Amino acid sequence: MMANQMNGAPLLEMRHIHKSFFGVKVLDDVSLSLRKGEVLALLGENGAGKSTLIKILNGDYTMDSGEIYLGGQHVQFHEPRDAEAHGIRMIYQELHYAPDLSVTENLLLNELPHGRGFPGRYAIDWRRAREMALARLKLLDLAIEPDVHMRDLPVVERQIVEIVKALSAEAQIIVMDEPTAALTPPEVEMLFGIIRNLCAQGVAIIYISHRLDEIFDIADRVTILRDGQHVATQAVAEVTMASVVELMVGREIEARRKTIEVGGGAAQVVLEVQNLTRQGAYEDVSLKVHAGEIVGVFGLIGSGQLSLTRSIFGAERPDAGSILVDGSACTIRHPQDARNAGIGFVPVDRKVQSLIMGQSVRKNVTLSNWGRLARMGFFQQGVEKQHTQHWIDSLGIRMAGDMEVPIRFLSGGNQQKSVLARWLEANVRVLILNEPTWGVDVGARSDIYDQLEALAQSGLAILLVSSDIQEILSVCQRILTIYRGRITAEFLRDQVTKDQLLAGAAGETL
Amino acid sequence: MLSAQSAPAAPPKRRKWLTDDTLTSLSLVVSFVLLCVFFASQTPYFLTQANLSTIASTIAIVGITSIGMTLVLITGGVDISVGSVAALSGVVTSLLWLEHGIPLGVATVLGILAGGLVGLLNGAIVTYLKINPLITTLATFSIVRGLAFVLSEGQTNLLSNEAFNFIGRGTVAGIPFSLIVMLTLYLIFFFVLRYTSFGRNLYAIGGSPQASRLAGIAVTRHLLIVYVISGLLAAFSGIINVSQLASSAPRAAVGLEFTVITAVVLGGTSLAGGKGTLIGTLIGVIILRTLDNGLVLMQVSSFYQDVARGFVLILAVGFDQIRLKFGQLQRSKGA
Ligand SMILES: Nc1ncnc2c1ncn2[C@@H]1O[C@H](COP(=O)(O)OP(=O)(O)OP(=O)(O)O)[C@@H](O)[C@H]1O
Ligand SMILES: [Mg+2]
Repeated sequence: MMANQMNGAPLLEMRHIHKSFFGVKVLDDVSLSLRKGEVLALLGENGAGKSTLIKILNGDYTMDSGEIYLGGQHVQFHEPRDAEAHGIRMIYQELHYAPDLSVTENLLLNELPHGRGFPGRYAIDWRRAREMALARLKLLDLAIEPDVHMRDLPVVERQIVEIVKALSAEAQIIVMDEPTAALTPPEVEMLFGIIRNLCAQGVAIIYISHRLDEIFDIADRVTILRDGQHVATQAVAEVTMASVVELMVGREIEARRKTIEVGGGAAQVVLEVQNLTRQGAYEDVSLKVHAGEIVGVFGLIGSGQLSLTRSIFGAERPDAGSILVDGSACTIRHPQDARNAGIGFVPVDRKVQSLIMGQSVRKNVTLSNWGRLARMGFFQQGVEKQHTQHWIDSLGIRMAGDMEVPIRFLSGGNQQKSVLARWLEANVRVLILNEPTWGVDVGARSDIYDQLEALAQSGLAILLVSSDIQEILSVCQRILTIYRGRITAEFLRDQVTKDQLLAGAAGETL
Repeated sequence: MLSAQSAPAAPPKRRKWLTDDTLTSLSLVVSFVLLCVFFASQTPYFLTQANLSTIASTIAIVGITSIGMTLVLITGGVDISVGSVAALSGVVTSLLWLEHGIPLGVATVLGILAGGLVGLLNGAIVTYLKINPLITTLATFSIVRGLAFVLSEGQTNLLSNEAFNFIGRGTVAGIPFSLIVMLTLYLIFFFVLRYTSFGRNLYAIGGSPQASRLAGIAVTRHLLIVYVISGLLAAFSGIINVSQLASSAPRAAVGLEFTVITAVVLGGTSLAGGKGTLIGTLIGVIILRTLDNGLVLMQVSSFYQDVARGFVLILAVGFDQIRLKFGQLQRSKGA
């Protein structure tokens, strides 16, 4: 046993895992091994089966067949508690938290400290709890108040709390399912610091991400899945970005995007925002989007850009300023006003803000367009199915089953594509997108960009909010930087460098 | 574009028609048949023509009110005020006719509109003041019942008129008129729920109000309309009730909300919103009505009837939960 560990025998082994949903194979004979103290990157396209595999490891799903060995011992997990008892911790892709409890309570959910003696030991020792929570937050060097409710934290910070929750002392294996999807670069760096630290102490990490550049920073080995099958496991030193992508996707993806010149100066202004202000969120924002143009708003998360787009869509009331569509001022007081004016909106938090989780893919895709699919108020199911199928094909939305599958069973990336499909289906003239490719794989990302460009070419005006500089640079013709709610600079893509954008997003005026 | 379809993965094994909804309906039909067999074996009178037509002619009040309740529950709300609204509409109608000399037809319409007004009030409180629907309608439940007493001064008014009597007691080709109206309404709302964007929006709102709003659905307007529909239908049931009893009383339709919610939930509509069908509700209503009738025939005391109904509710919901759990288990096991 001892000897085993010394020559690096795996800490964890998953062997020949099979799993089907609704008769569709999602995992087909997948094996994975994890050594002590290493970071194993688990890669694959949306729907490749990554989350399913780790949910099996965690005892959340039951596998159809296969075996799990932990330190050479055969183990069987029936529920997440079992896995937890063996030192396995999860950071799920979808956040799981209690919104109306404080950060402290969320962090210490299962282990709130009690006082001593009688009657103290029957009561929670809140002072100590708070200290424990603070100590954990310190690990990541975070300034999050332990007493605020989760609900009141920005999405980013909720994500961070989830991460901190998993970093408890007894963890031997930590699984992170896209932990950085919502983090800013400095926070990602901090997380990596922690990961290196943990590894030095012998903790092993399974790391799932669609940000491939991170893999080269943090991982020791990669395991790649494609369509539920294991395609390769290699040392990071032996792979390149291109070879990883090819293994994931099964074909080559153009690294450089062709520059399509569309829209621009001569075209008509479709969306114009004048001096829009909302106290405490953004100030005096003016911008224009022409027909056929993709305008990017780049800034670190939490710079007011989300609130700004919500206001344009009528979901939040601005204090001052006006919004013009096609040159005429419109009163947008509710999202339906915005929709009627031809504006579509993809929010950040798809799980809560976009999707009706219990309903089918079909109904979610046509949600904003039901009126158009109906004739004299009555729905035409045949037409609806055709339209839905069209988007499923052209965006490559993948699911186990057909369009009647409840959308909650889709992988994260495919859910995101469905939201996009909804607005494309609604035939809008202005499309506002917030971080449209969070959790979306490289192939699909490239599909989405292609779609956006095609849409722009057909005359759509697109406003893209993103904190991913690569994304901004590859699809936008014009880029605005935002810092603390103010637009700090404006660039044309051809004339801007990464550094200029980063400077603008950091509030340095040029 | 459509031609470029890549071959889909293996088709799902589950058969199309075997949805959760059909399962619920199926199990309800089975329980209904069992119930009938049981009563038929206990009392020979149960299956006679006379008894069946009694059931048929007394089902409309609960049946019609349940339509509105189903819509409200689908949006994730609830309407406790229906019983009070039913009483109010009867009182208003009879007062307008008897004391103000307004023609009975007009008075009836006004009585029903009064119910719509209460619905509008419910909807407005729920949407604009953002007060929880249970609390809101609990308040109007009390307010409206009180109003019915105040307006009528607690009096029962006799009310008889040939045309008016027809609403609750008339028959067409041997079929009770109220039953025909009820079935027509079911048909209409069945189509509304299933095939109109209005209907589908209700499910979306119940499934996730926030996502619906950000999808550009006019959530507020939909909720207002739904509560108004519930009020109107409850008021109409109140009119049928008056017509059947030939009198209006502020005490009418006490406990109607309980029966109606039981029936709707029995029919598989979820209290959490986003789920439910009118077919289920219709079967739920029939089962409940049959149960009441059978127990009366077996000469079970009315106190025990209440006990029985309570049990039926728990059974129905409990059964649904078990089925749901089982379904999820199957799913996560990938069956
Ligand atoms: N509970 C479930 N019921 C039915 N199908 C499911 C369920 N969970 C996952 N699936 C299906 O299994 C497949 C694999 O999903 P999984 O979530 O593992 O993908 P993933 O690799 O994590 O993708 P992403 O990168 O988008 O998160 C998908 O086709 C998904 O639709
Ligand atoms: Mg996943």
